[in-house]
Amino acid sequence: MNGTATYAVGDVLPEWVMAEVSAERMRTMAALLRDPNPLHWDRNAVAALPLGLGHRTINQGPLGLGYLVNMLHAWAGAGCIRRITMRFPQVVLDGERVVARGVITALREERGERIAQCDIRLEHAERGILLEGTASVALR
Amino acid sequence: MSPGGSARPLPSQAQIEALAGHVFPGGHYRIAHWENILLTGCTGADPLPNGLAHPIALFHLPIAGSGTSIAGMFALGQAESDLSIMIESYEWEFFIPLLEEVSYAVTGRVNSAERCRNPSGKIYDRIQFCFEVFTPQQALAARSTVTWHYTRDTL
Repeated sequence: MNGTATYAVGDVLPEWVMAEVSAERMRTMAALLRDPNPLHWDRNAVAALPLGLGHRTINQGPLGLGYLVNMLHAWAGAGCIRRITMRFPQVVLDGERVVARGVITALREERGERIAQCDIRLEHAERGILLEGTASVALR
Repeated sequence: MSPGGSARPLPSQAQIEALAGHVFPGGHYRIAHWENILLTGCTGADPLPNGLAHPIALFHLPIAGSGTSIAGMFALGQAESDLSIMIESYEWEFFIPLLEEVSYAVTGRVNSAERCRNPSGKIYDRIQFCFEVFTPQQALAARSTVTWHYTRDTL
């Protein structure tokens, strides 16, 4: 994106791919967040759940959200996000390939900035939408 | 008993509803450079320019800065185990970009707490937390609204 770029409602954002969600990164995140939930670092705890997820750890919500942030940064630049709202209809599991996608749904001026309102989602090829929400992004 | 945790008795509806308005002690939090590097790396991104903290810091920065913890929030809602919390939503607002190595003041409270039933009739408690992050100049930099479901006897 550069200063001469033009935008329109319906524009599709360049996708951002996490080729393989990493159990090791989940463990690092658990330590950074002081998150005691074993679903993020103990595959046996996940396998013991009556959810049929197998021996795979579950990504932290903020980490999956981070993939969407990275997509927005790659498109509009670091520091571009003004607001982001996210729901988590499905879990993200270690070893999965997931893709962050988005589309502009509105354009407006707000506090002297041009803002793109976007629908954003994290998708898995077989399981569909894992995370979904909206983002307000400042355009430079 | 849920796997990986110790089941606790179901709190009363009144106990849950009484959590609305609870205020955390408040305090400060500084995102260290090393912490930001690791956090950003976990998302698969390269470090951001100009000392910018990765926006996902808006999850743990306010929780720790307000004087609580993820475990403390689990305990406040009398989670039946560490496995029993489900995310409804996160809402993050950024008014000023977050930077590493800045000491932010943080306030936090429980916005709402209510007993609910899912479509299959199972009880859960919906608790919404709100945290606000202020710069050293006392400007509102960011707000985080966290809504969790404390599932009961579901795992």
